Amino acid sequence: MSELIRLESIVKAFDDTVVLNGINLSVAENEFVTLLGPSGCGKTTTLRIIGGFERPDEGRVFFDGKDITDLPANQRPINTVFQNYALFPHMNVGENIAFSMRVRNKSEAYIKDKIKYALKLVNLDGFENRRIDQLSGGQQQRIAMARAIVNEPRVLLLDEPLGALDLKLRQEMQYELVRLKKELGITFLYITHDQEEALTMSDKVVVMNEGYIQQEGTPEQIYDEPVNAFVADFIGDSNILSGQMVDEKLVRINGIDYPCIDGSEQGFPPGRPVDVVIRPEDIDILPYGEGLFNGTIISKLFIGVHYEMLVESEDGKIEWLLQNYDQHDVGEKIGMHVDPENIQIMHKPKSDAESAMELDL
Amino acid sequence: MKKVFGRIYILIIMMFLYLPILTLIVLSFNKAKSMSVWKGFSLKWYEELFSSRIMMGAIANTFSIAILAALIATIVGTLAVLGMAAMKQKTENVLMAFNNIPMLNADIVTGIALMLFFLMIGAPRGYCTILFSHATFCIPYVILSVKPRLNKHTDSLFEAALDLGASERYAFRKIVIPELKPGIMSGFLLSFTMSVDDFIITYFTRGAGINTISTLIYSQVKVGIRPSLFALSTIIFVVALVVLITVNLRQSRQEAAMAR
Repeated sequence: MSELIRLESIVKAFDDTVVLNGINLSVAENEFVTLLGPSGCGKTTTLRIIGGFERPDEGRVFFDGKDITDLPANQRPINTVFQNYALFPHMNVGENIAFSMRVRNKSEAYIKDKIKYALKLVNLDGFENRRIDQLSGGQQQRIAMARAIVNEPRVLLLDEPLGALDLKLRQEMQYELVRLKKELGITFLYITHDQEEALTMSDKVVVMNEGYIQQEGTPEQIYDEPVNAFVADFIGDSNILSGQMVDEKLVRINGIDYPCIDGSEQGFPPGRPVDVVIRPEDIDILPYGEGLFNGTIISKLFIGVHYEMLVESEDGKIEWLLQNYDQHDVGEKIGMHVDPENIQIMHKPKSDAESAMELDL
Repeated sequence: MKKVFGRIYILIIMMFLYLPILTLIVLSFNKAKSMSVWKGFSLKWYEELFSSRIMMGAIANTFSIAILAALIATIVGTLAVLGMAAMKQKTENVLMAFNNIPMLNADIVTGIALMLFFLMIGAPRGYCTILFSHATFCIPYVILSVKPRLNKHTDSLFEAALDLGASERYAFRKIVIPELKPGIMSGFLLSFTMSVDDFIITYFTRGAGINTISTLIYSQVKVGIRPSLFALSTIIFVVALVVLITVNLRQSRQEAAMAR
């Protein structure tokens, strides 16, 4: 897959607030890339810079090898599905879809065919003459898609397009988007704060926070091997604990030693303080005393598929979050076990001073 | 019982509102000049109205000033709104505060202030000074009715148009202007009615020998009102009524279409 979009050390500040701190990003042709992060992390600004609505203070934007940093939005072969859809309220559905073609003076016969094709693609045949305010939120979302793709852009930017829809519709639209992407064969750059959306649809997930890219990788990599506590916390539920390496492939958390699969080779020599992530579904429940560590169940919630339990360690210092299909009662004493490969060791976040010292070395 | 009481109540209110106007309409068709004696039906006051050059002049002045002033205020106000949108929020808020003051200000103060201003710069008072004054006091109302139409939503529509390949000029013409249109229309109509209605500011900024309907009536009060003015008032009332009914009918027809 060849590279289609490349961001090179993008910096952007609004007034005195730095929103992007040197973003480097590469998007390959025909890839589904998701920028994931909490609100205010800079993901929307990144998208707006690619779309041409913001100009970076520093850094360059490349498209298909060409520098497009100074190219205005209306000359970029990129279209956007906006968060609030931005459908033109004084035009009907057909006129909305036709807008980009009318701008380019296409023939009316061509436009008519294209409207039909686009509406069929988003499963809204025959909606040409509807007014925008007659459409439901889900339908408006589809029309926004139709309007953006009718011009055959090479990249489609999607700014939290499912944010305003209810849960059921959102899940349906996730499948729909993946299908659309397959049919169109174009690159999708998707923005969301919803980790589930990011994990289900993307080829590549880019986790952002505070203007930095925290981690980039396949959904599996992001979920199974978060590089720091922020990513682990943001992607799914997890137990994030402070620990220390006590030996090769042995980490001590709250006085108990756990075998793991990381050691000096992975950059975690004995003696190094670390953060440890254990996913709640990776903790197995055993009879009391038979596991690596023990605890008492202090609360229990039924969440559809499984039970979610909080377990307090025996010394009362740690609360573990567990997910299990079996029911256990509050107050029950249990033993717990975690397989070594399910213990994810991460570097502690560095303070600014520490990072500066590292540069000196 | 309750129903009957309610109906009587409404009847009383309606009488308060419309009986005076009805009296005026009836008197405009009175043969006699008297305001208390009915001497039979006649159209002679209407004839007098249409043959009186003073009255026809005042009518022409009133409506031409109203249309021109509303037009100027609408253009200036709309441009001001577009300009303000590009400013920093803080500057914009300060400007809006200044915009709101003239609307709260008493007309008499505005009128005298404008008169003093014209005297100071030595402008000969007449048609142009009235027009200028009317446009001035209408601008804040236009700004107030157009401004809410230009918001984040309009910004994102504009961006969407650019995204779809439109030039800035094309996007402005095809997307922004239609979005502002309801605000521009209501700003224009508001300006027009306020200009027609105005007496105090006109009175202070007009020169000798030029009258609008309101100043003409005022000057005639002193020498005794002629029934031809009743005829004029009747015509204005009927025109306003017809306009109102058409607008309302059209609206309810649109709403019915929407419900379908």
